[in-house]
Amino acid sequence: MTEIEHYAAPVTLDEAVECLQQVGEVTILAGGTDLMPQQRSGRLKPQRTLMNIRGMTELRGVSQSGGEIHIGALTTITELLEDPLVREHLPALIEACDHFASDQIRNAATIGGNICNASPAGDTLVPLLALDAQVELVSKPDGALFRRSMPIAEFFVGPGKTRRAPVELLAGVSIPVPPKDHFGRFFKFGTRPALDISTISIGLCGVLEGGVLSKVRVAFGAVAATPVRAFRTEAALEGRALTAATIAAAAAAARDEVTPIDDVRATAWYRKELIHNMTKRILDHVAQA
Amino acid sequence: MSLKHDIDFTLNGVRTRATVRVDMSALELLRDTLGLTGTKYGCGEGECGACTILVDGVSMNSCLMFAVDCHGRRLVTIEGLAADQAGKRAEALSAAFVEHGAVQCGFCTPGMMVQASHLLDKHPHADSEAIKRGIEGNICRCTGYKKIVDAIASVTD
Amino acid sequence: MSVSEKFILPDSLIGKRIVKMDAPEKAEGKTRYIHDINLPGQLHGKILRSARVHARIVSIDTRAARALPGVHAVITAADVPDQRPIGVARDHLPLKSDRVRSQRDEIAAVAADSEEIAARALGLIKVEYEDLPVLADPEDSRKPGAPVLHEAHPDNVAMRFDYAHGDVAQGEAESDVVIEDSFRLHYVTHCCMGVSGIIAEFDASGGLLMYSNTQVPFLHKREFADYLNMDPSRVRIVQPPIGGGFGSKLDIYPFEVIAVFLARAAKRPVKLQFTREEEFLASPTRQPVLLTLRSGCKRDGTLTFRQVHTLHDNGAYTSWGATTPFVMMQTFSSLYRVPHCDYHTVAVYTNNPYAGSFRGYGNLQATFAIEQHMDMLAEAIGMEPLEFRLKNAQDAGEVTGQGMVFKSCGFKECLTTAATRSGYSAKRKQNIADRTAPGAIKRGIGMASMLHVGGGAKIYPSDGCGTILKLDDFAHVTLITGASEIGQGSETVLSQLVCEELGLPMSAVTVVNNDTAITPWDVGVHASRTTFIAGNSAIGAAKKAKAKILAAAAKKLGVAEAELDLRGGWVIRAADGEALQDLPRLLRSLHFSDKADLVMTTFYYEPPSVHQDKGYKGDVSAAYAWATQVVEVEVDTETGVVRMTRVTGAHDVGRVLNRLGIEGQIEGGVVMGQGYALTENLLVENGVMKNPNFRDYKLVTAPEIPEMDVSFIESMDGEGPQGAKGVGEAPAICIAAATANAIQNATGVRIFDLPFTPERVYRALKGKGEKLHWKPV
Repeated sequence: MTEIEHYAAPVTLDEAVECLQQVGEVTILAGGTDLMPQQRSGRLKPQRTLMNIRGMTELRGVSQSGGEIHIGALTTITELLEDPLVREHLPALIEACDHFASDQIRNAATIGGNICNASPAGDTLVPLLALDAQVELVSKPDGALFRRSMPIAEFFVGPGKTRRAPVELLAGVSIPVPPKDHFGRFFKFGTRPALDISTISIGLCGVLEGGVLSKVRVAFGAVAATPVRAFRTEAALEGRALTAATIAAAAAAARDEVTPIDDVRATAWYRKELIHNMTKRILDHVAQA
Repeated sequence: MSLKHDIDFTLNGVRTRATVRVDMSALELLRDTLGLTGTKYGCGEGECGACTILVDGVSMNSCLMFAVDCHGRRLVTIEGLAADQAGKRAEALSAAFVEHGAVQCGFCTPGMMVQASHLLDKHPHADSEAIKRGIEGNICRCTGYKKIVDAIASVTD
Repeated sequence: MSVSEKFILPDSLIGKRIVKMDAPEKAEGKTRYIHDINLPGQLHGKILRSARVHARIVSIDTRAARALPGVHAVITAADVPDQRPIGVARDHLPLKSDRVRSQRDEIAAVAADSEEIAARALGLIKVEYEDLPVLADPEDSRKPGAPVLHEAHPDNVAMRFDYAHGDVAQGEAESDVVIEDSFRLHYVTHCCMGVSGIIAEFDASGGLLMYSNTQVPFLHKREFADYLNMDPSRVRIVQPPIGGGFGSKLDIYPFEVIAVFLARAAKRPVKLQFTREEEFLASPTRQPVLLTLRSGCKRDGTLTFRQVHTLHDNGAYTSWGATTPFVMMQTFSSLYRVPHCDYHTVAVYTNNPYAGSFRGYGNLQATFAIEQHMDMLAEAIGMEPLEFRLKNAQDAGEVTGQGMVFKSCGFKECLTTAATRSGYSAKRKQNIADRTAPGAIKRGIGMASMLHVGGGAKIYPSDGCGTILKLDDFAHVTLITGASEIGQGSETVLSQLVCEELGLPMSAVTVVNNDTAITPWDVGVHASRTTFIAGNSAIGAAKKAKAKILAAAAKKLGVAEAELDLRGGWVIRAADGEALQDLPRLLRSLHFSDKADLVMTTFYYEPPSVHQDKGYKGDVSAAYAWATQVVEVEVDTETGVVRMTRVTGAHDVGRVLNRLGIEGQIEGGVVMGQGYALTENLLVENGVMKNPNFRDYKLVTAPEIPEMDVSFIESMDGEGPQGAKGVGEAPAICIAAATANAIQNATGVRIFDLPFTPERVYRALKGKGEKLHWKPV
């Protein structure tokens, strides 16, 4: 491992972004559940400064205001699973959290870490995409705190790469409170309930009123370089009655629009089959609910 | 030479100080620096649970934690589990593991015990399905898990 | 031992649930495994492994490594000119000199003050390679122009096995149905939770002490002495508690010899332990096998013949994997009554990982093929699969074509018990009918049986085990046994047998089993032999002790020996249980008398099995064991996911000794079999392991396990201790075969290669599975 020369443990957001601004090359430590194995294996070279942000309690917690649910970046996966607001309004996110790694990892891993790790198969990323989440980035370019937001769909650039500038800290995500008649589903393919990196995952949200779909959001994981919105699949569902024909067309659109790769976990062909079959299955469940 | 950092934390109820390499894991701190070998190295990548400890009352893989991140926190390892759990539950759990034949080679046992203890703290009425989910992050190669689940179930309320 | 109890009723320990003796210590995390042991002054060893799969070593530059502060020794082949080839076929040097033949090959080693410094030193060693063509496919090993991996084997053949009984041509002529299929069995690995490790220390007079997790300490002792050109009596092996064995520690591996070389070079104790990645890369695997089976039967259901050809990928060096044919041919020749059998294996060198011994030792692979053919033959003649199996299952007293004598045999009872308890026949029919019903989830039920040695296997000059027993002045027993404990509970079952003989509680025994300087010889923990052989050895010593005690008591009490017995820590009158003399007092009176004597006895038990002849024929074990397992699955036809919902097993174990322990062995073996069948797959491409970690090598986790129903058939083996036979390997052996049959029952599709991952199953369901056709060259 490369040498770390400086260790910082800021307590406030201000201190943290000040450090980022001054130092530049900083590895951020939150839960550590991705950072430690990546550094040990050499997949990630540590920067000269290691900044432990876990002590910044202001970035932890879930609240509701202005028609949005705000989740602090340092909220752990277990805290999300137990949070009443998340449980009530964001069942797709709960489902993803329940299938996340293991209890031990859920107790340490943070949603901010999961987002910034930007794995194409990241468990929480798919429901966040389907829920129209916005990420909030904070920096201190001119001596004052500067915040900017971005739809999460624009945040991921490639495997492990996001639009977060090195001087920015991800402070949290905001999710519009879903309306009445909203349904949210998450499906992660695997032979185990958890402790699996997903072969494919699907997030499906929308409004079903009088048998007709609107505000449809579909997101897929592990089928592209980043978690992605499936715009063609959404188009095949938006404004349509949820019938067997619609479902079949949407499943076909899903299979056609994804571009997965072959890897140790699965072949591209199989991933496409799974996307087709499981999109259909989820939509069938929504129709029968 | 790797950067070193001083940490101050509570370990099994005892206030402890240590100087650690910044890139060190909590598992290495426990086993190599502090000589507490009850917590095991199974994989170093958070996949097997053999290194499970309690941190501020919740279970975590110590192989994934940075040692510096122990600063200011309250750690409990298998060595301190009985004392931490006010003697009652950990003893009952330990006796249950023994009685039910949940121990063969025993290598996964410390991690299982710590995780089971935490699971029962959160879900004192856990049924066998919930117990299996609760220990999904702990791998055992010897027992096939059945007797481990039975042992934990026997200690539920 | 209460004085007030005048009448001691018999209370046998046999068949009871006896708690494992070291469990309390393990449950508190106090047990010190090899990783937890640190000797004063010890250094940490690390091995530099090859960066190439097949290459000439042009140069190794260790100067920078040697110069690193904290480094005490750096060794390469050049530094150990006296090193000798090791392993089953003595075909590899611990430190490779001119050539590397696989990814795990050991090039250099370092001993340093800390693991961190040792790791950094490895990074400073510069190796220059000249790549050689990689031989990754065993089918290419014997093609003209294939790279020759070992000069001594210009055809790349490491081992061959050819066996026959009867005449398969005649058998085929007599058959009404003949089927032939190829099967591919894959790489899996032991994944013991405790990684491999060793501590080596030379004492002041040059004697060698090794802390080792070997399963064969006495064989190791002799072999190490040979490799190091030492007097075997100067080699001592101490076995700390082990974090899992499963057969992984039956050979001598380069890392062990390297640790000794480092200790010699550095003149300090050296501890060397693997990382988990290293454990994957450098541990032996289960033997992968490409197999073609041709089977026949008559219309009336009688099996006629089996003809088998296998291609064993021997990997770069030979370990026990190449000898799995010894076990495989036993299964092909004798699992069910087979009048004619022909078996051929060619094991070829490749640049792949090498295979070793792993619980079941080839039997999983053989049974996978045989039990699928049993279902297929039954279907071809229109017979119920259970009836077909019962018709061909042997009874006690039969001698197989290979010369195995089935003295105790509960085979048929295993079949009927498992079938009845699982509702096999009715469910099987229902599942076939339900194939066309709506719904993506299809249920299946499948059956498979296994035959394995249950009383050791006479492959070494002796298959025996020695015991030394002593009683102290307080009737506390020290049981000194050559049999190692590898987590399977041998120390507990041996104590149980001794306590049963001497009428003492389990708390009266201390076991010493882990130091070659103290314990008598035992060939090792393998072939499911420990309960049987070490058990009989312990009973032998206990019987002698009992005879001595009763003789002394008879004299003291003025009664005949035959009227006395031992129970509850007392000498009792056998007829009515009246307590006559308390045992500790009797022992003290023996000790502190004119003719002072202690009760110390010894016994060496050699089972009455024979070595096989040159045609591999002979009654190689003192007893044989059977099991039938019925596996139930749910197949999700839209994803290919196979969920194992229930396993119903019936095991002929001779006699249940420790009910708690034996259940644990069965349950663990079933789940290991589940992993082999469904989830575990070590991916090797061009000699490179693609998933040497738990993230991508999938062991079964708790939420995935099936419901398990286990029955024991007590066929009461005449030679076995209290009638018991060995069971350690049995439960893992037929799960994959039964699962294959269950998937076929659910979907109508039969799959001939493993594991049954969702993608493999889905492809098969869609007609995209590749059907193997392998014909031996």
